[in-house]
Parts: sequence; C-alpha cells; structure tokens
Amino acid sequence: MTPADTPRGGVRRRTVLGGAAAAAAGLALAGCGSADDGAPRERKKGQRITLTFWSWVPGIDRPVDLWNRNHPEVQVRVEKVSAVNGEQYAKMHAAIKAGNPPDLGQIEFPVIPSFLLDGGLRDLAPLGAARHRDAFFAWQWRQSVFGSGIYAIPQASGPMGLFVRQDLFDRWGIPVPRTWDAYEAAAKEVRRHGAWIETFAPTNGNRFAGLAWQAGAKWYATHGDTWVVHLDDAPTRRVADYWEGLVRRKLVKTVPDRRDAWYKDIQTGAIPAWVGASWGDALLAGNAPGTKGKWRAAPLPQWQPGDRAYANWGGSTTAVFAKASYPKDALDFALWLNTDPQSIALLLQGGYGFPSAKTGYATSALDADKDFFGGQPYSRVFADAGAHVDTDWQWGPGVDTLFQRLGDAFTDALAGGTSFRSVLTQVQRQTVADLRDKGLKAESGT
Amino acid sequence: MSATAARRPRRTGRPGARNARAAAGFVLPFLALFALCYLAPVCYAVWTSLRRTARTGPLGLGTERDVFAGLANYAQALADDRFLTGFGRVLLFGVVQIPLMTALATALALLLESAAARWVTFFRSAFFLPYGVPGVIASILWGFLYVPGLSPLVRIAQAVGWNVDFLSRGSVLWSVANIVTWQFTGYTMLVLIAQLKSVPGELYEAARIDGAGAWQVARYVKLPMLRPALVLTTVFSIIGTLQLFAEPMVLRPLASSIDSGYTPNLHAYSEAFVGNNQHRAAAEAVLLALVACAASFGFLRLVGGRGKEHG
Repeated sequence: MTPADTPRGGVRRRTVLGGAAAAAAGLALAGCGSADDGAPRERKKGQRITLTFWSWVPGIDRPVDLWNRNHPEVQVRVEKVSAVNGEQYAKMHAAIKAGNPPDLGQIEFPVIPSFLLDGGLRDLAPLGAARHRDAFFAWQWRQSVFGSGIYAIPQASGPMGLFVRQDLFDRWGIPVPRTWDAYEAAAKEVRRHGAWIETFAPTNGNRFAGLAWQAGAKWYATHGDTWVVHLDDAPTRRVADYWEGLVRRKLVKTVPDRRDAWYKDIQTGAIPAWVGASWGDALLAGNAPGTKGKWRAAPLPQWQPGDRAYANWGGSTTAVFAKASYPKDALDFALWLNTDPQSIALLLQGGYGFPSAKTGYATSALDADKDFFGGQPYSRVFADAGAHVDTDWQWGPGVDTLFQRLGDAFTDALAGGTSFRSVLTQVQRQTVADLRDKGLKAESGT
Repeated sequence: MSATAARRPRRTGRPGARNARAAAGFVLPFLALFALCYLAPVCYAVWTSLRRTARTGPLGLGTERDVFAGLANYAQALADDRFLTGFGRVLLFGVVQIPLMTALATALALLLESAAARWVTFFRSAFFLPYGVPGVIASILWGFLYVPGLSPLVRIAQAVGWNVDFLSRGSVLWSVANIVTWQFTGYTMLVLIAQLKSVPGELYEAARIDGAGAWQVARYVKLPMLRPALVLTTVFSIIGTLQLFAEPMVLRPLASSIDSGYTPNLHAYSEAFVGNNQHRAAAEAVLLALVACAASFGFLRLVGGRGKEHG
C-alpha cells in the first residue's frame, strides 16, 4: 500500500538494523537534492515553462488539459498522489525537507498550518492574491489566511449532511431525523430491524471535528504569540457523550468508515445512513451503484430543534509551494482552476466537492448524481448547510497528529472502556505538548 | 535491499599480497554499497535523533532550523506509553509465535526428511511458497479473510453459530501472528532441511545399526544436529518480530483495534510521516535497533552457554 513498507516487508527477517536503515534511507534521500537555490523567477515573454502539480482529485486532468491547450507557454503537469491515510502530505513534507517540492499542490484546509510550520507554502499576498478574495466564500478564503499572509487558493468545501436510504426508512416507518434526539430514536428503531444506523469509526478524527464544529466547539485559537488548544470544551464534550452513549448501548457499529466492510454494509443496507459531507454523493454513487435511486440527502441533525448549525468536513485548496520557480504563473493557474466556469464545470463532473467560488456555475451542475438520489436536487441541502457553517472555526498546526492522537485514544476507549471524556482530556494535554515539542508556544484553553 | 548483499561479507582474503589485492577488488563494490546504503543511513539516523527543530517568528510560523537536542528525543520516546506498550506487545507476540512457528517448522522438516516421506519436492515447494509472497500482499489477502461481511471464513463460522471477530482488540495480534506464521514457517523449514541434508549419512546408518527406530533417530540424532540451525532461525525470528510493520500497517485501516503505535516500528513510522517529527522517529528507530541487537545477542549468549554444558 505505502511505498515505504514494500521493501521493508521483504527483507524483514534478514536485517538487524533494517528498521533504522529503512527509516533512515528516507531521511537520507531527504538530505540530498538542493541543486537549485529555488529563487523565484519572472517568466520572460515567450518563455515556455512547465509547472508540476500534485493532486488526487478525481478528474483533475481534464481542467488541466483545458488550461494546457489555452496556455502553451505555461504547461501544467499533474502528478497523482495517493490520498490514503494522509500519504500525500507525508510525501509533500518530505519533498519540502528535501528541497524539491512541486510547484503546486492540493492541500486540505486542516493541514495548511502544518505546512506553514515547515515554511513550505508561498505567501501569495505580495503577488496580489488579495484582489481575488471576493470571488470566494469568505470563510473558505480565511482558511488559508494567517496574519497578513495568504497561503492558498480555496477550491472546494464539504458542508456536512445526512445521507439516508429513504426506502428502508419508509419501510420501517422511521422518519428522517431532524435532531440528534430523533437520530438516537431512529438508531434504536433501525437496530430493531437488524441493521445499524451508522458506524462510529474511532480513527475518523476529521468527522468528529466536524461534529464538534457543529456543536459550537473551537479547537484552536491564537492569543498573541501563543496557540490555544481547546479540545476539551463544553460543545465537544456534548458530542463525545452523545456518541459514547450510542456506542455503549450498541446502537452504532465501530468499524472504519469508507473501507471494504463499510462499503459492503452500504451496498446491502446493513447500514442505511451516513453522516457525511457534500462530496459523499460521488462516493455513494460510485461504490453502491446497486442502491441507485434509494438514497436521499437530508440536513445534518440539530442539537436544538429548528436550529441551522452546520459544519464542514474536508474541503481543500490549491497551494503554491515556497520553492516554486514561477510563483506568479502558478498563482494564475490556481486562480483559473478554481474560478473559471469551464474548469469548475469539469471539476464538478469529476465530483470534487462544493465549489469555493461564489459564481461561475449553475446550481443544477452541483446535482451531478441526481439520478442516484431519486431525482432529488440534493445540492440544495448542502448549499444551505454551506451558507450556515460556523465560520469562526480555525485549524492549527499539527492537525494530522491531533487526528492520530484522537484515533488512538478512541481506539483505547472502545477496547478498554475508558470514557470518551477522558479521551478529550488526554488528547488536549498531548496536543499542547506536541505543539511545544515542535517549538511553538502553546497552552490549554479554559 | 543492502541486507541480501550483507550476508557473509568477509572470508574472501587469503594470505599473500596478490590475493589480498584481488580480494580487495572483489570486496570494494560491496563495501561501497554497504557504506552508502547501510552505514550512511544509520549514521544519519543517529545524527537526526540528536537534533530537534527550533522555530521563531509570530506563532512559530517564521523560520525553522535544526539545533542540537542531546538525548531529549530518546527521553521523550522512552516516556511515551504507547511506544513502550508496542514493545510489550511484540514481546508477547514473540514469546508465543516464535516457539510455535519453530516447532511447526521443525516437525515439517523432520517429516519431509524422514525415510517414509513421499512427494517431498512438491511439499517442500508448497510449504515454502508463502515466503515468496511479499508481506504487504500477504496481509491484504489475509485481510480479506478477516473482515466481517467479506470473509468466507467469518460467514462459515457464523453459520455454525460461532460469532468470531478476527479483528477485535483481543484477537487481532493473533491474526497478525497467523499471517507471519503462514509466511515464514516454510522459510524456517527450508533452513532446517538444509541443515539436516548436511548431516553425514553414516550417522543415521550407525544409529540404525544400534537399533534406533525412526522416532529415536529423529529425537536423538536429528534434533541435536538441528541445534545450530534452530538458533539461527530463532534469531531471525526475534529480529523480524521486533520489526513487525507491514501486517499491522495493512490491517490497520480494516480494524478499529490497531492504533498508530501498535508495534515500535509502526510508532516510528507514524511519528515520522504523520507527526512529521523525523527527529523523534529516528530516536525510536535507533532504540528499536538497540533492542533488536540486545535481544539477538542475549539469545545467542543464552543458548551458547547451555551448549557448552552439552559439549
């Protein structure tokens, strides 16, 4: 699966220091390769250049082909990277350390601060990026603004919602839940029919963050020069208690989501609902084609009846790496990719998410999998969620580590029976320590 | 990688300057590669493990540079419960799996080398075959046999009323052990067979003339002769166990019970490529190498001492 474990698996039994050597080999590779001083250059008129772009978005080659046809002087070459378990970011961080990153990269909102830590991204503000701010939804633009710097161009977001197998819910006489109380009642009903409403995957920190976000949590803040971590706050505790209740009463499964076993359950109706995000439309349609026409999208259940509190899961940007030789051209491409109507149309066909650009597409184009959802114009559900996302949420450095800590602690909690609240206390403590380890000023929020 | 070439480096030179020069010529390419692919990375890992990243600027987002950290990375690694638990886990794994696998491989080797054995070549190849499957592929294959909903094994077990979960917190370590045993029993068996083949035929003949049956030949002639090979394969297994990585790494996305520090190697990997903390990861890798060295040489000492009593 990963490039790293293939050679190691093969030689395992034969080498004493293999672990160290293999780990060090990666580091050694990272040590060499600074032939170019990487000073940004201005492209001369008529000069032909090629920019490399690391991405994993399905169908990204199509808009890039279109760009290449219209811009013979600035060719963009897409190199696909694996998005399994954050491998793409491991690769980007390693390339930054080695001094040979690509010119452009696909980077999700939560990990932008991690890239700022190793000075990997180019500040686009001096290149005039601020002029284009109004083309994008404000909160998504802000995801890559730190201090006076602008570090990426937003591409798409993932407003959250609830996917349900309407046919099964109807057959079992269960109304689609509008509140989390109703969701719990629905979980009990679904269980009586031998199915499970959901899975609480302990390692899915991203979704847990989204659920906390909806409840009003703010995990990161800055106070002067200090990062304030506040994972163990009242809204997150509320979410943790709620899901712990579902898990302990065996109303939800705990298998990993978006993996073989889960896909099988989705195909067979053993799991008839999913708290997902807008990009889930392509995922369901692609992996459970046999259930075509039976799914519907509904708004995320609310804590207070009648509320409209929503959150975001996923969402990504096009960033320019600090070492990019022609940052101005790279920025031009990033802006074109994410605002040009033709580009957006092609990206939507590929199923890349919910555009960050405010204009340039017809709402109907967002319903790419309309037939799968029985003709429902389901994008309205997500558009409404997107319009009501709590925009004060901020990500901080080391989110990858935070998610891993959270996954490990939830794994322990599921096995050992420690409470979900103690997970929050523990991860908060660890995260503060991790940030300090990285040489940052950090403290716990109160 | 370098490890295959690393076997039996010396013993090429013989007395005489001419020969020595020729020997140097033959050894040089190996030494160069050995230094490049093995010594240099090890040195770099040790160097990296002694440093840390310092940051300045607003919110730490200004500049970063590496500074000397002494043994701080080692101290932090040793204070990390998850890292230490991983060591405990592979220890438990080794205590159970290595004797089991060695016993199984010994039994297979003795069976295939017994006078009554039939279709020896076929069975030898068949038992050895799993070793040819890379660990990652083997783990993916077995993963499909473990995952509920896809696995025919789970379905059959449930059909007869046995509600089995190969990937639960309690069982997943043994599911990994099963993969490792499947992969390496044949390899161990082959080493043992090679040793048996080197036993002079007269020894068996003498034993038979003295009235030993097949069982007694196995117990009193073959088993003692196998000792050096058993020691060798056990050392391989100890090292391999400490370095467990591919199996838990591949099963991890399938099971909610394998954490990021399930084995020490996995912990170092997560530290380096998720946490982006290469310094700590390097320290952990060095610690792992030290433990592997200590365990291997400790084991050799242990059996070496006992060997003298017999001899």
